[in-house]
Amino acid sequence: MATIAIEGVRRSFGSVEAVSDVSLDIGDGEFFTLLGPSGCGKTTLLRMIAGFTEPGAGRIRIGDRRIDTLPPHRRNIGMVFQNYAIFPNLTVTGNVAYGLKARKIPAGEIATRVAEALALVRLPGYGERWPHQLSGGQLQRVAIARALVIRPEVLLLDEPLSNLDARLRVDMRGEIRDLQQRLGITTVYVTHDQEEALAVSQRIAVMQAGRIEQLGAPGEIYRQPANLFVARFMGTTNVLPGVAGAREGSATRVRIGPTELWVHGLDAGEGEALSLCIRPEAMRVVAAGETVAPGSARLEVTVRRAEFAGALVRLDAEFADGTPVKVAVLDDPAAGAAPGSRIVLACDPARVTVFREGAA
Amino acid sequence: MSGVLRVAPLARLPLAIGAIAFAFLGLFLLYPLWGVLSASILTPDGAAFTLGNYASVLSRSFYRASVANTLGIGLLATLTTTLIAVPLAFAIARLDIPGKLLLIGMATLPLVLPSFVGAYALVLLLGRSGIVTEILNAWGLPFESVYGTFGIVTVYTLTLYPYVLLPAVAALKAVDVSVEEAAQNLGSSPARTFRTVTLPIVIPSVLSGALLVFIETLENFGVPAVLAEDKPILAVEAYKLFIGETATNPSAAAVLGVLLIVSATIVLIIQRRYIAGRRFATGARVAPPLIRAGAGWRTAAAVYCWAVVLLALVPFFAIVVLSFMEFRGPVLQAAFSLGNYAELFATAGGPLANTVLFATLAACVAVLIGVPIGWVLARTRSGWTSLLDIVATMPFAVAGTVLAIGFVIAFNAGAVILTGGWLIMVLAYCVRKLPFTVRSSSAILHQIDPVLEEASISLGVSPLRTFLGLIVPLMLGGIVSGMVLTWVTVASELSSTVVLYSGPWRTLTIVMFQALEGTGAGVAVAAASVLIAITLIPIVTAYRLLRRYEFSML
Repeated sequence: MATIAIEGVRRSFGSVEAVSDVSLDIGDGEFFTLLGPSGCGKTTLLRMIAGFTEPGAGRIRIGDRRIDTLPPHRRNIGMVFQNYAIFPNLTVTGNVAYGLKARKIPAGEIATRVAEALALVRLPGYGERWPHQLSGGQLQRVAIARALVIRPEVLLLDEPLSNLDARLRVDMRGEIRDLQQRLGITTVYVTHDQEEALAVSQRIAVMQAGRIEQLGAPGEIYRQPANLFVARFMGTTNVLPGVAGAREGSATRVRIGPTELWVHGLDAGEGEALSLCIRPEAMRVVAAGETVAPGSARLEVTVRRAEFAGALVRLDAEFADGTPVKVAVLDDPAAGAAPGSRIVLACDPARVTVFREGAA
Repeated sequence: MSGVLRVAPLARLPLAIGAIAFAFLGLFLLYPLWGVLSASILTPDGAAFTLGNYASVLSRSFYRASVANTLGIGLLATLTTTLIAVPLAFAIARLDIPGKLLLIGMATLPLVLPSFVGAYALVLLLGRSGIVTEILNAWGLPFESVYGTFGIVTVYTLTLYPYVLLPAVAALKAVDVSVEEAAQNLGSSPARTFRTVTLPIVIPSVLSGALLVFIETLENFGVPAVLAEDKPILAVEAYKLFIGETATNPSAAAVLGVLLIVSATIVLIIQRRYIAGRRFATGARVAPPLIRAGAGWRTAAAVYCWAVVLLALVPFFAIVVLSFMEFRGPVLQAAFSLGNYAELFATAGGPLANTVLFATLAACVAVLIGVPIGWVLARTRSGWTSLLDIVATMPFAVAGTVLAIGFVIAFNAGAVILTGGWLIMVLAYCVRKLPFTVRSSSAILHQIDPVLEEASISLGVSPLRTFLGLIVPLMLGGIVSGMVLTWVTVASELSSTVVLYSGPWRTLTIVMFQALEGTGAGVAVAAASVLIAITLIPIVTAYRLLRRYEFSML
């Protein structure tokens, strides 16, 4: 059972607390992602699991085994580094066999396992090549094979895709995800790219300033961010100022500019200032003559700019009082959303997240 | 378990290396230097503190003159070196000079050829009964000799100019073409661009090299020993006071030694702290193109470059030619002869073997100690590593003569007695050359991604085995070139050898040094030629490695 238990781990560098009191439980076979902007502590946390950074306090266990007191070379953890860290003086085979030789595995078995590992990452027959003969994507595969061939209990990936170009990044992340599913290996993945994190993870911990801001499944984190930081970090969002109105049963009327919508389960006093997060794609353009369901927001805006991005059209619009709002709609040649035109947007209250904190 | 003394697993290897390094440097650098310092500030019986030694040395105009001469000659030589090297660097970096690759190769040679041999050649050619002097006098031209300031500065200039040339060429090539293009695009003329953009980028490198030249002149023993005659120079006078034929005066020698260390340290601190760190990085992807100059300028530049580079090598060439001529006593005969070599190997076969043996031992030990120190300095940031960095750089600021005096004071009596053997010489060489191997190791380590070490450790290989099995092979080019440079400079070492050698452990440089005082000019010239040969062979063999790893470090 390769579960990972992180209990009250802290680490500071000088006066900066890189990781402050983080506790986490990662399940056996789980694909877990640490996500956050640079400097949020995600890499420090990963390096503490690997053993390259000493925790200032707390414990880390894999299964029942406490590992934070073990030297890193005795932890049996596979790690894939940001820039691959392929040994330039060894061939592909030499790189993949490196950890097996350290474990004094017999030569015959090394050959079999290296061949298996290379087949696993779809590089069969590349054993005799030298690292400088390989492309970035191929180096990445060698790095993964090298980390997996030692049959580690846990696989750590530190921004493994950041050095690849955009198209390859998308292919590779799918491949990493498939491989992880097939092997069922507990995996901790570090990235600053929220789209990547959403695409591959079973659970995500969003970090900022050494703390976990939110822990949850991708959909949950994207659709129900726990706070404004997470809302903004997880992709483009509109943060609109609102005012709480009267309650009607479980719903509260919330006023945004000249319109209002009903929000369920909100615990706010009448007159309280609120922030409403609405993702650009949570709004749709209302056709002329169409009515909007009661409780939904009906927002009249003027289009200022339309950016055609292929499948999507991104609109920069503003309310009558000048508050900007971003809208994303699927491309539709019939929709008339030219700059300067006035349109009506509808928004389902279930897709609005309300925070009882002023929009900063 | 989690006591205060728990050492993080990854900190253990650096700490172990640090402990060994401090023990070595403490015993063989700091302890001898303390010996010099204490000899200078204690009464002769060692009982009480006194400044009397300083007072009595500095009250004599002769020794005050030695300070003034040393600093004056150093400054003058630094100036002439810079004036010669900067135009040379510009021509090499930016003009089309015929035979440029060969020119650069030959321009690096004076770095490794013994300056002492150059000085000796100058005496043979332009000394009181020198070949050229006699020809000039035969023509009725009034020329006496090159002894004194002129000769010393000439030799320094011709042997030390690469210290300025190589960093200046590197800096000129590191100016990104787009920076100059940006200046011109903004309306700056080529001349103004050079003055306001190119030059400021290059100046820190030039100054940094110039200060190294100054330090070298302060510490050099061989050149003033050959050329100074009656002019007092610190390193030579310290030697005379310590070893002297008449009354020796160790405390006065120690005073001069301390003065020398203090001057060199001040210059080294300026170089390291204020200049070496100010080099601008322009992140050059494309070096600026060659300048199209007119035929006249091109010819003038080519003549200048080749003249300087060849002139610097003439003394060494002359020595080799002279070694095949017949000497009767000090007098040269115009006849081909292998007699000098016969005599050298008959009476002095030992010195060649000693030189090769000592250089090999010293190079090996310096690598064994220096490479791990270089690794620690490159990979570990901590208070104690900054201290180790300072201590491991200190030998740069300590003249060989002074270190050797310290060795004699420290290991002449007491628990460890080393004087009179060969080990003391090898240890002194190791300490003196340690900065070479330390710096070349840490320089190459900066090109090796530290994450490779983490990858190896995460695959289950311990830090020590990762260092030995993965990092050392990756560093091999730098290690070999550091070793070659150590070997070569130890082979031509004179300043500490002259204090430390004893009867059976003479080296080639000692043969030459003794010949200056006696009559064995023929043997000396043969010894110098052998020295040139054993210096050049490894350099030429490892030239490509050296170009990549060593010369770029200056």
